[in-house]
Amino acid sequence: MSTATIVHATPLATWRQLLQRLLRSTGGEAQALRASLAGLAAAAAVQGLALACVFPMLAALAGTANREPDGAAASRWLLAFVALALIASALRWRAQGFDFHGHMARATHALRTRLGAQLRRMPLETIQDKRAGELNAALLGNVDENFNYTLTVVNLIAQVLVMPPVLALALLTVDWRLGLALLLIYPPIVVLYRWRRPYQARGMRALEDAHRRANADIVEYAQGLPVLRAARCEGEKAVALQASFAQVERVQTIGQRKAAGPKMIFASVVELGLLATAAAGAGWVAAGTLEPALLAAWLVVLVRFSEPLANFLSYTNIVELVEAALDRIEALLAVPPLPQREPAHMPAAFSVRFEDVCFHYAGQDAARDAPVLADFSVDLPERGMTALVGPSGSGKTTITRLLMRHADPQAGRILIGGIDLREMTPDVLNGLVSTVFQDVYLFDDTVIANIRMARPDAGDEAVREAARAAQCLDFIERLPQGWDTRLGDIGARLSGGERQRISIARALLKDAPIVILDEPTAALDTESELAVQRAIDALVESRTVIVIAHRLSTIAAADRILVIDGGRLVQQGRHDELLAREGRYRAMWAAQQRAKAWHVRQAALAEQ
Amino acid sequence: MQPVRRRIQFAMALSALATLCQFVVLGALAWMVRALLTETAPDPWPWLALAALGTVLFLVLRITAFNQSHYAAFRLETILRTRVAEYAARVSMGEVQRLGSGALAKVMQDDVNALHVFVADSTPLFARAAVAPLASLALMFALDWRLALAALGVVLAGLAVLSLAMRDRTEMVRRYNEAREQVSAAVVEFVQAMPVVRTFDTGQSTFGRYQRALDSYLDVLLRWYAGAAFSARFGMAAMSALPTLAVLLAMGGWQFQAGRLDFGTWLAVLLLGAGVAEAMLPLMTLMHLVDKTMLSVRRIQQVLELPVLPQPTAAQERAPADASVRFEHVSFSYGADAAEPALADVSFCAAQGTVTALVGPSGAGKTTVARLIPRFWDVNAGRVLVGGVDVRDMSADTLMRHVAFVFQDTFLFASSIADNIRLGLPETTMDEVVAAATAAQAHEFISALPRGYDTPAGERGVFLSGGQRQRITIARAILQNRPILVLDEATAFADPENEAALVQALSALMRGKTVLMVAHRLATIRDADQILVFERGRLAESGTHEALLAGQGVYERLWAGYERAQHWTLHTKALA
Repeated sequence: MSTATIVHATPLATWRQLLQRLLRSTGGEAQALRASLAGLAAAAAVQGLALACVFPMLAALAGTANREPDGAAASRWLLAFVALALIASALRWRAQGFDFHGHMARATHALRTRLGAQLRRMPLETIQDKRAGELNAALLGNVDENFNYTLTVVNLIAQVLVMPPVLALALLTVDWRLGLALLLIYPPIVVLYRWRRPYQARGMRALEDAHRRANADIVEYAQGLPVLRAARCEGEKAVALQASFAQVERVQTIGQRKAAGPKMIFASVVELGLLATAAAGAGWVAAGTLEPALLAAWLVVLVRFSEPLANFLSYTNIVELVEAALDRIEALLAVPPLPQREPAHMPAAFSVRFEDVCFHYAGQDAARDAPVLADFSVDLPERGMTALVGPSGSGKTTITRLLMRHADPQAGRILIGGIDLREMTPDVLNGLVSTVFQDVYLFDDTVIANIRMARPDAGDEAVREAARAAQCLDFIERLPQGWDTRLGDIGARLSGGERQRISIARALLKDAPIVILDEPTAALDTESELAVQRAIDALVESRTVIVIAHRLSTIAAADRILVIDGGRLVQQGRHDELLAREGRYRAMWAAQQRAKAWHVRQAALAEQ
Repeated sequence: MQPVRRRIQFAMALSALATLCQFVVLGALAWMVRALLTETAPDPWPWLALAALGTVLFLVLRITAFNQSHYAAFRLETILRTRVAEYAARVSMGEVQRLGSGALAKVMQDDVNALHVFVADSTPLFARAAVAPLASLALMFALDWRLALAALGVVLAGLAVLSLAMRDRTEMVRRYNEAREQVSAAVVEFVQAMPVVRTFDTGQSTFGRYQRALDSYLDVLLRWYAGAAFSARFGMAAMSALPTLAVLLAMGGWQFQAGRLDFGTWLAVLLLGAGVAEAMLPLMTLMHLVDKTMLSVRRIQQVLELPVLPQPTAAQERAPADASVRFEHVSFSYGADAAEPALADVSFCAAQGTVTALVGPSGAGKTTVARLIPRFWDVNAGRVLVGGVDVRDMSADTLMRHVAFVFQDTFLFASSIADNIRLGLPETTMDEVVAAATAAQAHEFISALPRGYDTPAGERGVFLSGGQRQRITIARAILQNRPILVLDEATAFADPENEAALVQALSALMRGKTVLMVAHRLATIRDADQILVFERGRLAESGTHEALLAGQGVYERLWAGYERAQHWTLHTKALA
């Protein structure tokens, strides 16, 4: 839609819109940017006037058959030239302050911060839908593109659009034919530009798409390298990667080839057009209607702007770049955050209640696909332990995600202490829930910083205590720099169990009233599992705990076991109650007892 | 730049020629005016025709030059990216991990891109920025040495100030790039760890690590700009056409009035001279670009200089004789700074068709053993033999043909589930994929997905549960059908019903294979042909379950703990 408006509107009108969008994206620095751009335009105008002084100066010096050379007049015009040139330089100097006084850096910084805050606010569902590489490109690449070229390009464009017309107007007073000739260059420029613009925009977007895909593939390649090596499709055999490289090169080459002809036409029209004015001038001189000195001056100034004028299309290409960047930034900022109902409430109690919750992920077709959760209702009193069991993909993890408000349900509501999640600020909600994720994510930082991030004001003793409870002490002390070992450098050296224990320490340190444990002991070896289980025992004493566990024996003592299947609550009760009844739970229990009895020998021998 | 050097040189030569054509145009115009001034019956048309011809030639040459340099840059981009990707696959995983996937991705994206920008746009400009001032100064000296000197003076003054601006630029560029790299890493981390960030990083005003990276970047930028604020702007003002033009107008006017200069020559100097400084201005910005590019080149080189795992030549290469795995006095540590070795003098043999279990507390070295077999690292001492051949004596390809892996870290690619299963085996038919998925007990849930096997797996497989992802990787291994199988905690994320499914899947996978498995659930490995018990990097014990229990050693202790854990339950109140 936006490209359609671009095609039909006049270039200047869309440029004005673009300028406004650019100013908006600079936030607090908009005023400074506006002043700077105005300064650049003014500088170009003054420069045009300065160049106009060359005409009377040369004329005065050369004189004519019936006019004596006038050195004094020439000096006056030279002084005027110097004065105007100085003013132009001063104006430009001031305008460039937007870069050099850090306004641009601060605007970029503010925008990045805003985008970061937006990422935090956006429904998590939306973020996880995109590939990290794309977002990376959007955040980093765009913001810089947005501003880095702005001043340079505006300066160049001012040299094309402001300086020559001002000069032409001034020339009208010297010799109206020269002024008019110069102004006549512009209609073809506008026509040609309007002809090229949609192509430029299209080419730019195609290239961006290709780049985005390549970036995502590169990130994935770097992350999945061990798997790719094991699968023997690394390097040249990484098909997706090679395909996206080839695609980038193809789009680039096509773009270059297609643009070459029009660029040539444009530059020829401009350069030969200017040459034609020189030819006309020569004709007028030969006919005796133009002073040779004025023609000389004409050539001197013409040489100054023939090149910027001929390169105009390259400059506008950069405008497209800025516009494409703005498009993506605005699209990202436009994603609405999950609505926050006013007035905000702070729950006083920590019971959890799901009321008729229905949910499907964005991108799922509500009509065709079964919902992830359907009419899910349950009441979890404060300070109790609830276990969620059920097959993979039954909706257990979704329940915990909804409680953390990674997304809102399409119907029904979720309450903590009687308060709807939507009536809490994100900070309040995040403060209430502590989680041990199934996917352990450790930051490239020291061990102690990774644990402390849960409570930045926690003292060393508190961090140590949490680590002790999570059974981390022994392996942390064996690390090369102990607590100060950076995990990025040694990530590979920590086993899955060790990583998980760090994430448990983090959750313990946070000390939130509601605790979610998603498979907390799955990756642990027997000895640490036992120890971690004791730590979790301590954790659940005074809190509302929701645990997803696969081994049913682990959760046999839960106050409440919820059996989930196909997004529905199919059974609930205590372990012994559920076992006593015919049903899903009993079947699962039996299956697990059988699996327990499975030995590797059977598998290996099954062949024989 | 090696692979496209020819093309770049060609582009630069074209660009230099184009510049010379421009001088022809300027000269023709100057002589035209001179003719108009001095001759009684002047004929400007031949001069104009020459100017027009020069202009057309100039445009054609310039556009061709840029086309050539751009094509060269496009090619270079693909070549370099492929080369880095290829190379990263040949160095040890340890090096890759030390480098970090974020840094590797950045080299492949940004650094290669910096090189592209340089080659595409700068090489022709470079030729021009070098040729134009020299040629025009030479011409000016031929025309009038005084004016030439004046123009040169302005240029030199501008250059002097600009070089001040460039003083500490290498250091600044380095710091800038460092800060930028941090921002890039912080963004990747911020996005990927968003659930964790939201739950734990509560400081709303400062979202911690992301914000800190941005702050230090801003700091570097501000300092850079502040340092260059005067000299850069002054240089730019001095190098624009206006100061030179002013000097040439003043001096020329004075000389002309004094009768020491004729108007035609003066005009020629004005046309040629005003552009000298301007032509050099790009040279300054180009220097900047060169610095940035050199840094990128260095970083690309750093990756390309990482030690590769040495590969045998075709003549040296030996093929494994059978499907056995043997460790002979293997010692290994992760980097020189490790407090204690990850493995110390480990020897064992897993005979063809047997099941070997690796057990022990976390960090004991089980996973290290599993990863030395696919040669993610090379041992420090001793050797690892597959089928009687040292893994260092076979090509990576041969090794990978013999060994399949299922790791606890299940990485799925953003392509379709079918493509994830047939990864590395593109010729596989859909029927074979389905058969593998069925054997891995994954067919049922895959079929239930909205687009079945064509469902994209999503970044890091976010919409699949751990158990489901695990079964997809098992299906992958089933399809690969290699004689040796290494399993690293393959059942960690199984849920109750799926544990049974997973167990079935593994049974299908293990059939007839030599299996080495890292396991925490001791019950599963009770019947293994041999159990290797690791403790702190050493092979503490080995034997069958019964023999080890009778030995009253580490295994016996682990087993007792395991039995207890089986009967432990989470609870909020003390069990009554």
